[in-house]
Amino acid sequence: MPNIEPLRRQVQAKIRKLELRASSGLWILTLFTALSLAAYREFDFLPPLSDELRSALGAGPPVDYINWALVLYGFSAIIIVLTQMTGSKPPGTALSHFGYLSAFYAFYYFSNGLADNFWAIFTIGMTILSLQSYHIWNHYREQIRGEEEILAELDKLLED
Amino acid sequence: MFDNLIARAIVPIAIAVTGFVVFGCILLYSLIQSDMTDEAVLHLDSFAETIVKSTRYAMMKDDRESLRNIVENVGTLTEIEQIRLFDQNGQVRFSGNPREVEAETDYQALEAWMRQGMTTGQEGRALTQHNIDKRAGVIAVSMPILNEPKCSTAACHFHGEEEQVLGFLNLGISRDPLEKTLALLRSRMIIFSIMVLFLTISGVAALLRLNLFLPILRLTFSAAQAVHGVAAKDLPKADNKLGTLEKDFRLLVEQRDQAWQDQKTASFLLKKAEHGSLRDTTDRENAEHRAAAPAGPGENPQT
Repeated sequence: MPNIEPLRRQVQAKIRKLELRASSGLWILTLFTALSLAAYREFDFLPPLSDELRSALGAGPPVDYINWALVLYGFSAIIIVLTQMTGSKPPGTALSHFGYLSAFYAFYYFSNGLADNFWAIFTIGMTILSLQSYHIWNHYREQIRGEEEILAELDKLLED
Repeated sequence: MFDNLIARAIVPIAIAVTGFVVFGCILLYSLIQSDMTDEAVLHLDSFAETIVKSTRYAMMKDDRESLRNIVENVGTLTEIEQIRLFDQNGQVRFSGNPREVEAETDYQALEAWMRQGMTTGQEGRALTQHNIDKRAGVIAVSMPILNEPKCSTAACHFHGEEEQVLGFLNLGISRDPLEKTLALLRSRMIIFSIMVLFLTISGVAALLRLNLFLPILRLTFSAAQAVHGVAAKDLPKADNKLGTLEKDFRLLVEQRDQAWQDQKTASFLLKKAEHGSLRDTTDRENAEHRAAAPAGPGENPQT
Protein backbone atom coordinates (compact mmCIF):
# COMPACT_ATOMS: atom_id res chain seq x y z
CA MET A 1 0.00 0.00 0.00
CA PRO A 2 1.47 3.42 -0.95
CA ASN A 3 2.36 5.90 1.78
CA ILE A 4 -0.63 8.27 2.10
CA GLU A 5 0.80 10.38 4.91
CA PRO A 6 2.11 13.17 2.56
CA LEU A 7 -1.32 13.36 0.90
CA ARG A 8 -2.96 13.59 4.31
CA ARG A 9 -0.65 16.45 5.33
CA GLN A 10 -1.38 18.18 2.03
CA VAL A 11 -5.13 17.98 2.66
CA GLN A 12 -4.66 19.27 6.21
CA ALA A 13 -2.62 22.22 4.92
CA LYS A 14 -5.34 22.97 2.36
CA ILE A 15 -7.98 22.92 5.11
CA ARG A 16 -5.94 25.42 7.15
CA LYS A 17 -5.57 27.66 4.09
CA LEU A 18 -9.31 27.49 3.40
CA GLU A 19 -10.10 28.28 7.04
CA LEU A 20 -7.95 31.40 6.78
CA ARG A 21 -9.77 32.41 3.60
CA ALA A 22 -13.16 31.72 5.20
CA SER A 23 -12.41 34.20 7.98
CA SER A 24 -10.93 36.88 5.67
CA GLY A 25 -14.31 38.61 5.36
CA LEU A 26 -14.55 38.93 9.13
CA TRP A 27 -11.09 40.50 9.25
CA ILE A 28 -12.13 43.11 6.70
CA LEU A 29 -15.30 43.75 8.73
CA THR A 30 -13.16 44.35 11.83
CA LEU A 31 -10.89 46.67 9.86
CA PHE A 32 -13.91 48.63 8.64
CA THR A 33 -15.23 48.93 12.20
CA ALA A 34 -11.86 50.34 13.31
CA LEU A 35 -11.87 52.82 10.41
CA SER A 36 -15.45 53.81 11.29
CA LEU A 37 -14.43 54.51 14.89
CA ALA A 38 -11.74 56.86 13.59
CA ALA A 39 -14.23 58.48 11.19
CA TYR A 40 -16.73 58.92 14.03
CA ARG A 41 -14.12 61.02 15.79
CA GLU A 42 -13.59 62.86 12.49
CA PHE A 43 -9.98 61.59 12.38
CA ASP A 44 -9.08 63.95 15.23
CA PHE A 45 -5.97 61.92 16.09
CA LEU A 46 -4.44 62.77 12.70
CA PRO A 47 -2.48 66.02 12.31
CA PRO A 48 -4.51 68.70 10.48
CA LEU A 49 -3.82 69.12 6.79
CA SER A 50 -1.65 72.07 5.89
CA ASP A 51 -3.21 74.90 3.88
CA GLU A 52 -0.85 74.19 0.98
CA LEU A 53 -1.96 70.57 0.79
CA ARG A 54 -5.61 71.57 1.09
CA SER A 55 -5.29 74.09 -1.72
CA ALA A 56 -3.39 71.51 -3.80
CA LEU A 57 -6.21 69.01 -3.29
CA GLY A 58 -8.82 71.64 -4.13
CA ALA A 59 -12.36 71.91 -2.83
CA GLY A 60 -14.18 68.68 -2.02
CA PRO A 61 -17.14 67.63 -4.17
CA PRO A 62 -20.60 68.80 -3.02
CA VAL A 63 -22.07 66.57 -0.32
CA ASP A 64 -25.22 65.96 -2.39
CA TYR A 65 -23.15 64.43 -5.20
CA ILE A 66 -21.37 62.16 -2.72
CA ASN A 67 -24.75 61.12 -1.30
CA TRP A 68 -26.01 60.10 -4.73
CA ALA A 69 -22.76 58.29 -5.47
CA LEU A 70 -23.12 56.43 -2.16
CA VAL A 71 -26.70 55.39 -2.94
CA LEU A 72 -25.64 54.15 -6.38
CA TYR A 73 -22.62 52.32 -4.99
CA GLY A 74 -24.59 50.74 -2.12
CA PHE A 75 -27.36 49.51 -4.40
CA SER A 76 -24.95 48.11 -7.03
CA ALA A 77 -22.68 46.49 -4.45
CA ILE A 78 -25.59 44.66 -2.76
CA ILE A 79 -26.90 43.45 -6.15
CA ILE A 80 -23.39 42.29 -7.17
CA VAL A 81 -22.84 40.36 -3.93
CA LEU A 82 -26.29 38.74 -4.17
CA THR A 83 -25.59 37.81 -7.81
CA GLN A 84 -22.24 36.29 -6.79
CA MET A 85 -24.09 34.28 -4.14
CA THR A 86 -26.44 32.75 -6.70
CA GLY A 87 -23.57 31.86 -9.05
CA SER A 88 -21.00 29.18 -8.40
CA LYS A 89 -17.99 31.44 -8.92
CA PRO A 90 -15.60 31.88 -5.99
CA PRO A 91 -16.28 35.12 -4.10
CA GLY A 92 -14.02 38.11 -4.65
CA THR A 93 -12.16 39.64 -1.75
CA ALA A 94 -13.96 42.20 0.42
CA LEU A 95 -10.89 44.43 0.29
CA SER A 96 -12.16 46.34 -2.76
CA HIS A 97 -15.37 47.27 -0.90
CA PHE A 98 -13.27 48.36 2.05
CA GLY A 99 -11.33 50.62 -0.34
CA TYR A 100 -14.49 52.18 -1.79
CA LEU A 101 -15.96 52.80 1.67
CA SER A 102 -12.72 54.39 2.89
CA ALA A 103 -12.83 56.68 -0.15
CA PHE A 104 -16.37 57.72 0.79
CA TYR A 105 -15.22 58.54 4.33
CA ALA A 106 -12.37 60.61 2.86
CA PHE A 107 -14.64 62.49 0.44
CA TYR A 108 -17.17 63.33 3.16
CA TYR A 109 -14.33 64.40 5.45
CA PHE A 110 -12.87 66.81 2.86
CA SER A 111 -16.34 68.16 2.03
CA ASN A 112 -17.19 68.72 5.71
CA GLY A 113 -20.12 66.34 5.53
CA LEU A 114 -18.77 63.45 7.59
CA ALA A 115 -20.62 64.26 10.83
CA ASP A 116 -24.02 64.35 9.10
CA ASN A 117 -23.48 61.30 6.91
CA PHE A 118 -21.37 59.03 9.11
CA TRP A 119 -24.24 56.64 9.99
CA ALA A 120 -25.25 56.32 6.34
CA ILE A 121 -21.77 55.10 5.26
CA PHE A 122 -21.44 52.93 8.36
CA THR A 123 -24.78 51.19 7.74
CA ILE A 124 -24.25 50.55 4.05
CA GLY A 125 -20.64 49.47 4.71
CA MET A 126 -21.68 46.99 7.37
CA THR A 127 -24.42 45.63 5.09
CA ILE A 128 -22.15 45.11 2.08
CA LEU A 129 -19.26 43.69 4.09
CA SER A 130 -21.56 41.42 6.16
CA LEU A 131 -23.12 40.02 2.97
CA GLN A 132 -19.70 39.53 1.38
CA SER A 133 -18.30 37.93 4.57
CA TYR A 134 -21.30 35.60 4.78
CA HIS A 135 -20.79 34.59 1.14
CA ILE A 136 -17.04 34.04 1.61
CA TRP A 137 -17.62 32.07 4.81
CA ASN A 138 -20.28 29.84 3.19
CA HIS A 139 -18.23 29.23 0.05
CA TYR A 140 -15.06 28.20 1.86
CA ARG A 141 -16.95 26.21 4.53
CA GLU A 142 -18.34 24.03 1.74
CA GLN A 143 -14.85 23.49 0.34
CA ILE A 144 -13.55 22.68 3.84
CA ARG A 145 -16.35 20.13 4.26
CA GLY A 146 -15.25 18.45 1.02
CA GLU A 147 -11.62 18.35 2.15
CA GLU A 148 -12.65 16.98 5.55
CA GLU A 149 -14.49 14.14 3.82
CA ILE A 150 -11.32 13.33 1.85
CA LEU A 151 -9.34 13.44 5.11
CA ALA A 152 -11.81 11.09 6.79
CA GLU A 153 -11.46 8.64 3.87
CA LEU A 154 -7.68 8.82 4.15
CA ASP A 155 -7.88 8.24 7.91
CA LYS A 156 -10.06 5.20 7.27
CA LEU A 157 -7.50 3.88 4.80
CA LEU A 158 -4.74 4.40 7.37
CA GLU A 159 -6.71 2.52 10.02
CA ASP A 160 -7.30 -0.40 7.63
CA MET B 1 -27.22 27.34 12.84
CA PHE B 2 -26.56 29.13 9.53
CA ASP B 3 -25.84 25.88 7.75
CA ASN B 4 -29.30 24.73 6.77
CA LEU B 5 -31.15 25.61 3.59
CA ILE B 6 -33.71 27.90 5.25
CA ALA B 7 -31.05 29.98 7.02
CA ARG B 8 -29.02 30.22 3.83
CA ALA B 9 -31.99 31.56 1.92
CA ILE B 10 -33.24 33.97 4.59
CA VAL B 11 -29.98 35.44 6.01
CA PRO B 12 -28.70 37.20 2.83
CA ILE B 13 -32.14 38.63 2.08
CA ALA B 14 -32.54 39.78 5.68
CA ILE B 15 -29.09 41.45 5.71
CA ALA B 16 -29.57 43.11 2.31
CA VAL B 17 -33.09 44.41 2.94
CA THR B 18 -32.43 45.50 6.54
CA GLY B 19 -29.16 47.23 5.63
CA PHE B 20 -30.53 49.04 2.60
CA VAL B 21 -33.75 50.18 4.31
CA VAL B 22 -31.84 51.49 7.35
CA PHE B 23 -29.26 53.16 5.06
CA GLY B 24 -32.01 54.74 2.96
CA CYS B 25 -33.80 56.04 6.05
CA ILE B 26 -30.59 57.50 7.51
CA LEU B 27 -29.70 59.20 4.24
CA LEU B 28 -33.25 60.47 3.77
CA TYR B 29 -33.28 61.80 7.34
CA SER B 30 -29.92 63.50 6.76
CA LEU B 31 -31.20 65.13 3.53
CA ILE B 32 -34.44 66.27 5.19
CA GLN B 33 -32.46 67.64 8.13
CA SER B 34 -30.21 69.57 5.78
CA ASP B 35 -33.19 70.91 3.77
CA MET B 36 -35.04 71.96 6.92
CA THR B 37 -31.93 73.68 8.30
CA ASP B 38 -31.48 75.52 4.98
CA GLU B 39 -35.12 76.57 5.15
CA ALA B 40 -34.67 77.80 8.73
CA VAL B 41 -31.55 79.77 7.68
CA LEU B 42 -33.48 81.37 4.80
CA HIS B 43 -36.29 82.27 7.19
CA LEU B 44 -33.75 83.74 9.62
CA ASP B 45 -32.05 85.77 6.88
CA SER B 46 -35.37 87.16 5.79
CA PHE B 47 -36.22 87.97 9.41
CA ALA B 48 -32.84 89.69 9.92
CA GLU B 49 -33.27 91.70 6.73
CA THR B 50 -36.70 92.84 7.90
CA ILE B 51 -35.18 94.02 11.19
CA VAL B 52 -32.31 95.83 9.39
CA LYS B 53 -34.81 97.56 7.10
CA SER B 54 -37.11 98.49 9.97
CA THR B 55 -34.22 100.03 11.92
CA ARG B 56 -32.90 101.98 8.92
CA TYR B 57 -35.02 105.08 9.50
CA ALA B 58 -34.14 105.21 13.19
CA MET B 59 -30.45 104.83 12.30
CA MET B 60 -30.61 107.62 9.72
CA LYS B 61 -32.18 109.83 12.32
CA ASP B 62 -29.78 108.55 14.96
CA ASP B 63 -32.83 107.78 17.07
CA ARG B 64 -31.30 105.51 19.68
CA GLU B 65 -34.43 105.25 21.76
CA SER B 66 -36.39 103.84 18.83
CA LEU B 67 -33.54 101.46 18.00
CA ARG B 68 -33.46 100.20 21.60
CA ASN B 69 -37.21 99.71 21.54
CA ILE B 70 -37.17 97.82 18.26
CA VAL B 71 -34.37 95.51 19.44
CA GLU B 72 -35.93 94.93 22.86
CA ASN B 73 -39.39 94.26 21.40
CA VAL B 74 -38.07 91.82 18.82
CA GLY B 75 -36.06 90.16 21.59
CA THR B 76 -39.27 89.40 23.50
CA LEU B 77 -40.51 87.10 20.72
CA THR B 78 -40.51 83.49 21.91
CA GLU B 79 -38.57 82.10 18.96
CA ILE B 80 -35.78 84.69 19.30
CA GLU B 81 -32.87 83.51 21.42
CA GLN B 82 -30.54 86.45 20.86
CA ILE B 83 -30.60 89.80 19.12
CA ARG B 84 -27.73 92.26 19.18
CA LEU B 85 -26.73 95.31 17.20
CA PHE B 86 -22.99 95.87 17.02
CA ASP B 87 -21.25 98.99 15.82
CA GLN B 88 -18.55 98.74 13.15
CA ASN B 89 -15.93 98.04 15.84
CA GLY B 90 -17.81 95.06 17.18
CA GLN B 91 -19.13 96.70 20.35
CA VAL B 92 -22.65 95.69 21.42
CA ARG B 93 -24.80 98.81 21.20
CA PHE B 94 -28.27 97.35 21.51
CA SER B 95 -29.26 93.93 22.70
CA GLY B 96 -32.30 91.90 23.67
CA ASN B 97 -30.34 91.27 26.85
CA PRO B 98 -29.64 94.80 28.23
CA ARG B 99 -26.90 93.45 30.52
CA GLU B 100 -24.68 92.93 27.47
CA VAL B 101 -24.93 96.65 26.69
CA GLU B 102 -24.31 97.62 30.29
CA ALA B 103 -21.28 95.36 30.47
CA GLU B 104 -19.99 96.88 27.19
CA THR B 105 -19.58 93.42 25.71
CA ASP B 106 -17.73 93.27 22.41
CA TYR B 107 -17.54 90.60 19.73
CA GLN B 108 -14.28 89.25 21.21
CA ALA B 109 -16.28 87.92 24.17
CA LEU B 110 -18.73 86.15 21.84
CA GLU B 111 -18.57 83.08 19.67
CA ALA B 112 -15.66 82.40 17.34
CA TRP B 113 -17.77 82.37 14.16
CA MET B 114 -18.82 85.99 14.84
CA ARG B 115 -15.30 87.11 15.72
CA GLN B 116 -14.07 85.80 12.40
CA GLY B 117 -16.57 87.83 10.39
CA MET B 118 -16.39 91.04 12.40
CA THR B 119 -12.65 91.52 12.73
CA THR B 120 -11.54 94.75 11.11
CA GLY B 121 -9.72 94.22 7.84
CA GLN B 122 -10.97 90.65 7.59
CA GLU B 123 -11.85 89.53 4.09
CA GLY B 124 -15.56 88.83 3.81
CA ARG B 125 -16.48 91.29 6.57
CA ALA B 126 -19.30 92.54 4.39
CA LEU B 127 -20.71 89.04 4.01
CA THR B 128 -23.48 87.45 6.03
CA GLN B 129 -22.22 84.74 8.40
CA HIS B 130 -24.26 81.82 9.72
CA ASN B 131 -23.89 79.47 12.62
CA ILE B 132 -25.91 76.28 12.36
CA ASP B 133 -23.86 74.27 14.83
CA LYS B 134 -26.10 71.88 16.77
CA ARG B 135 -24.03 72.25 19.93
CA ALA B 136 -24.82 75.98 20.11
CA GLY B 137 -28.54 75.21 20.35
CA VAL B 138 -29.39 78.14 18.07
CA ILE B 139 -29.37 78.98 14.40
CA ALA B 140 -27.75 82.39 14.21
CA VAL B 141 -26.93 84.95 11.58
CA SER B 142 -24.54 87.88 11.65
CA MET B 143 -25.67 90.30 8.97
CA PRO B 144 -23.52 93.33 8.16
CA ILE B 145 -25.29 96.69 7.97
CA LEU B 146 -23.73 98.12 4.85
CA ASN B 147 -23.03 101.75 4.08
CA GLU B 148 -25.25 103.33 1.45
CA PRO B 149 -25.17 106.75 -0.24
CA LYS B 150 -28.10 107.76 1.92
CA CYS B 151 -26.11 106.98 5.04
CA SER B 152 -22.93 108.85 4.15
CA THR B 153 -24.91 111.91 3.05
CA ALA B 154 -27.31 111.82 6.00
CA ALA B 155 -27.61 114.86 8.26
CA CYS B 156 -25.91 113.13 11.17
CA HIS B 157 -22.70 112.66 9.11
CA PHE B 158 -21.87 109.89 11.52
CA HIS B 159 -20.23 107.63 8.93
CA GLY B 160 -17.77 108.46 6.24
CA GLU B 161 -18.19 107.36 2.62
CA GLU B 162 -15.19 105.03 2.83
CA GLU B 163 -16.67 102.91 5.62
CA GLN B 164 -18.06 99.80 4.00
CA VAL B 165 -19.68 98.25 7.07
CA LEU B 166 -21.54 100.38 9.61
CA GLY B 167 -22.43 97.65 12.03
CA PHE B 168 -23.75 94.14 12.42
CA LEU B 169 -27.03 92.59 13.36
CA ASN B 170 -26.70 89.33 15.24
CA LEU B 171 -29.91 87.35 15.38
CA GLY B 172 -30.38 83.83 16.71
CA ILE B 173 -33.43 81.58 16.83
CA SER B 174 -33.76 78.46 18.92
CA ARG B 175 -33.16 75.07 17.29
CA ASP B 176 -35.76 73.46 19.57
CA PRO B 177 -38.74 73.61 17.14
CA LEU B 178 -36.54 72.22 14.36
CA GLU B 179 -35.16 69.49 16.61
CA LYS B 180 -38.69 68.60 17.78
CA THR B 181 -39.88 68.26 14.18
CA LEU B 182 -36.82 66.15 13.32
CA ALA B 183 -37.35 63.95 16.39
CA LEU B 184 -40.95 63.35 15.31
CA LEU B 185 -39.80 62.55 11.78
CA ARG B 186 -37.11 60.22 13.16
CA SER B 187 -39.55 58.26 15.30
CA ARG B 188 -42.02 57.95 12.40
CA MET B 189 -39.22 56.78 10.12
CA ILE B 190 -38.09 54.17 12.65
CA ILE B 191 -41.65 52.82 12.96
CA PHE B 192 -42.07 52.82 9.19
CA SER B 193 -38.68 51.08 8.66
CA ILE B 194 -39.53 48.40 11.22
CA MET B 195 -42.87 47.80 9.49
CA VAL B 196 -41.24 47.61 6.04
CA LEU B 197 -38.55 45.24 7.34
CA PHE B 198 -41.05 43.05 9.10
CA LEU B 199 -43.32 42.86 6.05
CA THR B 200 -40.46 42.25 3.61
CA ILE B 201 -38.72 39.58 5.64
CA SER B 202 -41.89 37.83 6.72
CA GLY B 203 -43.29 38.07 3.18
CA VAL B 204 -40.15 36.58 1.63
CA ALA B 205 -39.96 33.94 4.36
CA ALA B 206 -43.64 33.01 3.87
CA LEU B 207 -43.29 32.77 0.10
CA LEU B 208 -40.12 30.69 0.38
CA ARG B 209 -41.72 28.44 2.95
CA LEU B 210 -44.90 27.98 0.95
CA ASN B 211 -43.35 27.45 -2.46
CA LEU B 212 -40.01 25.85 -1.63
CA PHE B 213 -39.38 24.67 1.91
CA LEU B 214 -42.73 22.94 2.53
CA PRO B 215 -42.62 20.98 -0.76
CA ILE B 216 -39.00 20.00 0.01
CA LEU B 217 -39.93 18.96 3.56
CA ARG B 218 -42.91 17.00 2.18
CA LEU B 219 -40.66 15.26 -0.34
CA THR B 220 -38.10 14.52 2.40
CA PHE B 221 -40.87 13.01 4.53
CA SER B 222 -42.12 10.97 1.54
CA ALA B 223 -38.58 9.75 0.86
CA ALA B 224 -38.22 8.68 4.50
CA GLN B 225 -41.58 6.87 4.32
CA ALA B 226 -40.59 5.19 1.05
CA VAL B 227 -37.32 4.01 2.60
CA HIS B 228 -39.36 2.36 5.36
CA GLY B 229 -41.34 0.43 2.78
CA VAL B 230 -44.50 2.54 2.34
CA ALA B 231 -46.02 2.01 -1.10
CA ALA B 232 -46.36 4.86 -3.62
CA LYS B 233 -50.15 4.97 -3.27
CA ASP B 234 -49.85 5.41 0.51
CA LEU B 235 -47.37 8.30 0.34
CA PRO B 236 -48.60 11.86 1.18
CA LYS B 237 -50.32 13.56 -1.75
CA ALA B 238 -48.04 15.57 -4.10
CA ASP B 239 -48.70 19.26 -4.84
CA ASN B 240 -46.50 19.42 -7.97
CA LYS B 241 -44.64 22.53 -6.72
CA LEU B 242 -41.28 20.89 -7.30
CA GLY B 243 -42.17 19.96 -10.88
CA THR B 244 -40.65 16.78 -12.34
CA LEU B 245 -38.59 16.05 -9.21
CA GLU B 246 -41.68 14.95 -7.31
CA LYS B 247 -43.12 13.04 -10.29
CA ASP B 248 -39.83 11.23 -10.92
CA PHE B 249 -39.54 10.34 -7.24
CA ARG B 250 -43.02 8.83 -7.25
CA LEU B 251 -42.27 6.97 -10.47
CA LEU B 252 -39.16 5.49 -8.84
CA VAL B 253 -41.17 4.37 -5.81
CA GLU B 254 -43.86 2.90 -8.10
CA GLN B 255 -41.21 1.05 -10.08
CA ARG B 256 -39.79 -0.28 -6.85
CA ASP B 257 -43.27 -1.37 -5.71
CA GLN B 258 -43.82 -3.05 -9.07
CA ALA B 259 -40.44 -4.77 -8.81
CA TRP B 260 -41.36 -5.99 -5.33
CA GLN B 261 -44.72 -7.18 -6.57
CA ASP B 262 -43.12 -9.03 -9.49
CA GLN B 263 -40.56 -10.52 -7.14
CA LYS B 264 -43.31 -11.64 -4.77
CA THR B 265 -45.34 -13.18 -7.60
CA ALA B 266 -42.28 -14.92 -8.99
CA SER B 267 -41.30 -16.32 -5.64
CA PHE B 268 -44.90 -17.39 -5.00
CA LEU B 269 -45.05 -19.16 -8.36
CA LEU B 270 -41.69 -20.71 -7.71
CA LYS B 271 -42.79 -21.88 -4.30
CA LYS B 272 -46.04 -23.14 -5.78
CA ALA B 273 -44.21 -24.94 -8.52
CA GLU B 274 -41.78 -26.43 -6.02
CA HIS B 275 -44.65 -27.40 -3.79
CA GLY B 276 -46.55 -28.97 -6.74
CA SER B 277 -43.60 -31.00 -7.91
CA LEU B 278 -42.93 -32.13 -4.35
CA ARG B 279 -46.53 -33.29 -4.01
CA ASP B 280 -46.36 -35.16 -7.30
CA THR B 281 -43.18 -36.88 -6.20
CA THR B 282 -44.70 -37.86 -2.86
CA ASP B 283 -47.87 -39.17 -4.52
CA ARG B 284 -45.81 -41.14 -6.95
CA GLU B 285 -43.67 -42.58 -4.14
CA ASN B 286 -46.75 -43.44 -2.14
CA ALA B 287 -48.30 -45.19 -5.12
CA GLU B 288 -45.16 -47.19 -5.73
CA HIS B 289 -44.96 -48.06 -2.06
CA ARG B 290 -48.52 -49.22 -2.03
CA ALA B 291 -48.01 -51.28 -5.18
CA ALA B 292 -44.99 -53.03 -3.76
CA ALA B 293 -46.76 -53.98 -0.45
CA PRO B 294 -48.30 -57.59 -0.27
CA ALA B 295 -52.03 -57.58 -0.68
CA GLY B 296 -54.11 -58.64 2.36
CA PRO B 297 -56.91 -61.02 2.35
CA GLY B 298 -59.79 -59.85 0.16
CA GLU B 299 -57.77 -56.77 -1.07
CA ASN B 300 -56.95 -55.94 -4.61
CA PRO B 301 -53.29 -54.79 -4.74
CA GLN B 302 -53.96 -52.86 -7.97
CA THR B 303 -56.27 -50.33 -6.31
